[in-house]
Amino acid sequence: MTGIANVWELATRNMRQSGIAVAFVAIVALFSVLNSNFLSPGNITNIVLQYSYILILAIGMVLVIIGGHIDLSVGSLVALTGAVAAVVVIKGGQPWWVGVLAAIGVGLLAGAWQGFWVAYVGIPAFIVTLAGMLLFRGLTWVVLDSISLSPFGGTYYQIANGFQNGLLGGMGFDVFTLVIFAIAVVGYAVMQWRSRMAKLRYQQVVESLPLFVVKIVIVAAIVMWFAWQLAHSRGLPNVLILLAILIIGYSVIAQRSVFGRHIYAIGGNLHAAQLSGVKVKTVNFWVMANMGFLSAVAGIVYSSRMNGAQPGAGNMFELDAIAACFIGGAAVTGGVGRVTGAMIGGLIMAVMSNGMQLMGVDQSVQQVVKGLVLLLAVAFDVYNKKRAGVAR
Amino acid sequence: MTNRPLTHPAHPPAALPPPCPPSPPGQPPLPRTPVLCLQGITKRFGAVEALLDVSVQVHEGEVVGLVGDNAAGKSTLAKVIAGALQPDTGLIELGGEPVQIGSPSSAHALGIATVFQDLALCENLDVTANLFLGRELKRSGLMHDGQMEAHTRSVLHDLRANIPSIHTPLNQLSAGQRQAVAIARTLIGRPRLVVLDEPTSSLSVAQTAEVLTHIERLRDLGLGVIFISHNLTDVRAVADRIEVLRHGQNNGTFGPDAAQSDLIGAITGATRFGGLGG
Ligand SMILES: Nc1ncnc2c1ncn2[C@@H]1O[C@H](COP(=O)(O)OP(=O)(O)OP(=O)(O)O)[C@@H](O)[C@H]1O
Ligand SMILES: [Mg+2]
Repeated sequence: MTGIANVWELATRNMRQSGIAVAFVAIVALFSVLNSNFLSPGNITNIVLQYSYILILAIGMVLVIIGGHIDLSVGSLVALTGAVAAVVVIKGGQPWWVGVLAAIGVGLLAGAWQGFWVAYVGIPAFIVTLAGMLLFRGLTWVVLDSISLSPFGGTYYQIANGFQNGLLGGMGFDVFTLVIFAIAVVGYAVMQWRSRMAKLRYQQVVESLPLFVVKIVIVAAIVMWFAWQLAHSRGLPNVLILLAILIIGYSVIAQRSVFGRHIYAIGGNLHAAQLSGVKVKTVNFWVMANMGFLSAVAGIVYSSRMNGAQPGAGNMFELDAIAACFIGGAAVTGGVGRVTGAMIGGLIMAVMSNGMQLMGVDQSVQQVVKGLVLLLAVAFDVYNKKRAGVAR
Repeated sequence: MTNRPLTHPAHPPAALPPPCPPSPPGQPPLPRTPVLCLQGITKRFGAVEALLDVSVQVHEGEVVGLVGDNAAGKSTLAKVIAGALQPDTGLIELGGEPVQIGSPSSAHALGIATVFQDLALCENLDVTANLFLGRELKRSGLMHDGQMEAHTRSVLHDLRANIPSIHTPLNQLSAGQRQAVAIARTLIGRPRLVVLDEPTSSLSVAQTAEVLTHIERLRDLGLGVIFISHNLTDVRAVADRIEVLRHGQNNGTFGPDAAQSDLIGAITGATRFGGLGG
């Protein structure tokens, strides 16, 4: 067996993964043609900031969905954690980090509460988190005493609105941003090279060397172009740094840790996981608790970006986060999905919303389009699976 | 874990079954103590007596065929040995030591590996992930993929299993290949005893032949094997001894060359053994 595969083989082997990447590029291309402002540095920064909290939620949500559950309460929990931070910082006059810790504490507690009912009592997550959705929304009204609180100001405001720039100087652009992204690109290239070497060692199929180099160069070019745009705008957003840390950290957890492997096993075949000695209850508990934690992180980012807390904050966020996961290739039945996929799914939603907004498309039409995209993405999945089933 | 008494606590001491004899009475002594010895195992589900006073022995390098009609209690016995079910009464000895098998993971720790009838595999995970599910090798907190993959290759090689790549997700493998993965999984962690519950029931002729050679490989590796099946031809092909279960009770022990009619008689109940009359 030869160790070299051609482009077509690779593309079809990973139909879903490449399909979504192609769709993403196509959507970006479409909007950049339709609107000259779409790819401007300012707007790119804006997209990142505007949807960062959905992406953060989607990281946790994809783990929940891989495990075969769902979490409908994250929108309410974003509101509740933001409200707690606001009460602590704005009303209580405490420093910003006390507010952050309080929000994370409440998020973890809420997640553990739901984890308890799902894992140890055995109530479906759909029901538990539906209850949570009402419960946490109600608590938000109680905590805020039914009024909005603002402004945070100071460091808390900087969490979502601040930038890292000027650290290394620059002439009209931020060198620091470029350096950080260059390091990331080199890291990516090295990792890809090492995994290619490992595959070759075990005589697995890899792409030919020129193709490999082209792939790396294209990715590097896109990333560095993105960095260039950021560097010409306001520099590296704090939120983007936070997001990068979360994405890398949770990708490692999902793909390389025993905990992550067990989430996939539970979602794939609960009975088999049990018989194999997987601690199903513990894993389910921590998956839900972790969702609470990430909801708190999203709640902090959102309240910081809004510079205040409102009782109605985070409404429908759960649906955006869930849609991001499914567009990003997670399976409705559980056991399948990736953090990176959910991120691309979230970015597709973000780019579509932002692009349509720039073009002045009506809110109602935006909703219709997003709904159809979600439906088509999952239909494409189902179609693929059927085809694979017939081929076997 | 607390130090438990060496008998099964659910069992009243007065009714204790006799301990496993070093050799069955009235027969020439066997050269070794059995790997597994079950004595007087009873398991009820409400009013259903799935197992009633069942006794089975397995020795090193021996394949014991366990046959019986539907609902004879074969899978229930497999689950008792695998730690997935707890017997109501009875004594389990492993290598001469009385043991309690409280859970699937404690069975694994005791060196018992089981392939369940409904294939406890995760179709969404690849071959390596399935082999090591629930017992992943770790290095500095993360999974040690390299070592797990190396192990997987060597086990598949031991079995002479025909799997295209250890990175293939199971939903892309044939039923026979999946069965090979399930059997390979039993070899992780140096087991003494392997229980296979109907490993050939959903396979083609060629795939069945392949699984039967895998079973022979297990015997050649010196393991005790319990091979549960409906199919007398398959059982005769590899078993050194055949135990018949009927309505949850022992109903005769046969050599591999026993007459077909005798076996069928024991399975269907035309013949009765063990002092039950008939
Ligand atoms: N979890 C359970 N709850 C209640 N009854 C059960 C349970 N498991 C098995 N039984 C009953 O115990 C009896 C023996 O079942 P078992 O699955 O051991 O049979 P089997 O010999 O494996 O049959 P088959 O050849 O169909 O696999 C049956 O009457 C079955 O209905
Ligand atoms: Mg059975």
